[in-house]
Amino acid sequence: MPGKSLSFASQHDVELCAYAAAGERRAFGELVRRHGSAVRNLLRRMGAQAAEADDVAQDAFLAAFERISEFRGEGTFTGWVKRIAARLYLRRLQREKRLAALAAEEGREEADAAAGLGNGGDADRRMDLEEAMKALSAPERLCVSMCYGAGLSHGEAAEALNLPLGTVKSHVKRGLDKLRARLAPNGEPNEGAVVEGRRSNG
Amino acid sequence: MAEVDFERRLERLFAQSPDMPDAQAFAERVERRLDRGWNLRRWLIGAAGLAGGVVGASQLVMSNLFQRVESAEQSARVLSQGLARVTPTTDMVSALSGGYGLWIAVGLAFVTMGVFAARLVQEF
Repeated sequence: MPGKSLSFASQHDVELCAYAAAGERRAFGELVRRHGSAVRNLLRRMGAQAAEADDVAQDAFLAAFERISEFRGEGTFTGWVKRIAARLYLRRLQREKRLAALAAEEGREEADAAAGLGNGGDADRRMDLEEAMKALSAPERLCVSMCYGAGLSHGEAAEALNLPLGTVKSHVKRGLDKLRARLAPNGEPNEGAVVEGRRSNG
Repeated sequence: MAEVDFERRLERLFAQSPDMPDAQAFAERVERRLDRGWNLRRWLIGAAGLAGGVVGASQLVMSNLFQRVESAEQSARVLSQGLARVTPTTDMVSALSGGYGLWIAVGLAFVTMGVFAARLVQEF
């Protein structure tokens, strides 16, 4: 067992997880320092406000510490915590009865998004992910973030969102179409592209 | 193929998260919450141990243990007398028959309480 003076900054994530599993909280703190921003960014991209994203991210890291022995190092530590955070955020939305409202939000935001696309030039198309995500409706944002940010399959996202698989797939498809239009490199054709994602196996 | 490329690009974009300016403060907040939870857990364990010790000691002292010990002493005396006819009396049997058993039990209970109290004091 390392002494308190041990510097964790040079340790690999897997080693830090092993120390954390042995109860070394400073090692876990180093993991939070490394990956906190990624988890918070994911939650913001899912639609959480900054303060709420921070709250959920904190809860996710605390839950990760409690379950650190379950982390086998098969994927990345960030990916593992992101999945925990995404599920916690959805649970929070469900608890506060906001999930259903978000799912019904589609029409209004789609109109805004269409307006945004209509007058955008090439410069707009090279906007960053944060800006591009704003063009998505709330359910599209949730579904795309969960599948491409948290690494969930369509089936897992459908289960977490308590939505039919087909609904999740169509949210993802529409979301990808909008993102492709916004994120396309200069001059790349993006009209009529067929979305057949790698995650469509559900 | 272009579709898969776009999905990979999107995953890369999601994976690229610039460090937030308050990343250090965020980590410290999480560490503080971890410490708080850990201290609370230790408090609860210590308090449960102390309460258990108190209950055990009070049960030991306040129950009709004295009568039981007295009858046990009588039994032990009879037993030791019986044994004395067969073998020499041992120190332990004579200690019990002299009424030391009760005081040993009470002493052990107080030592247990003392250990938990010392643990609590050490932690805080």
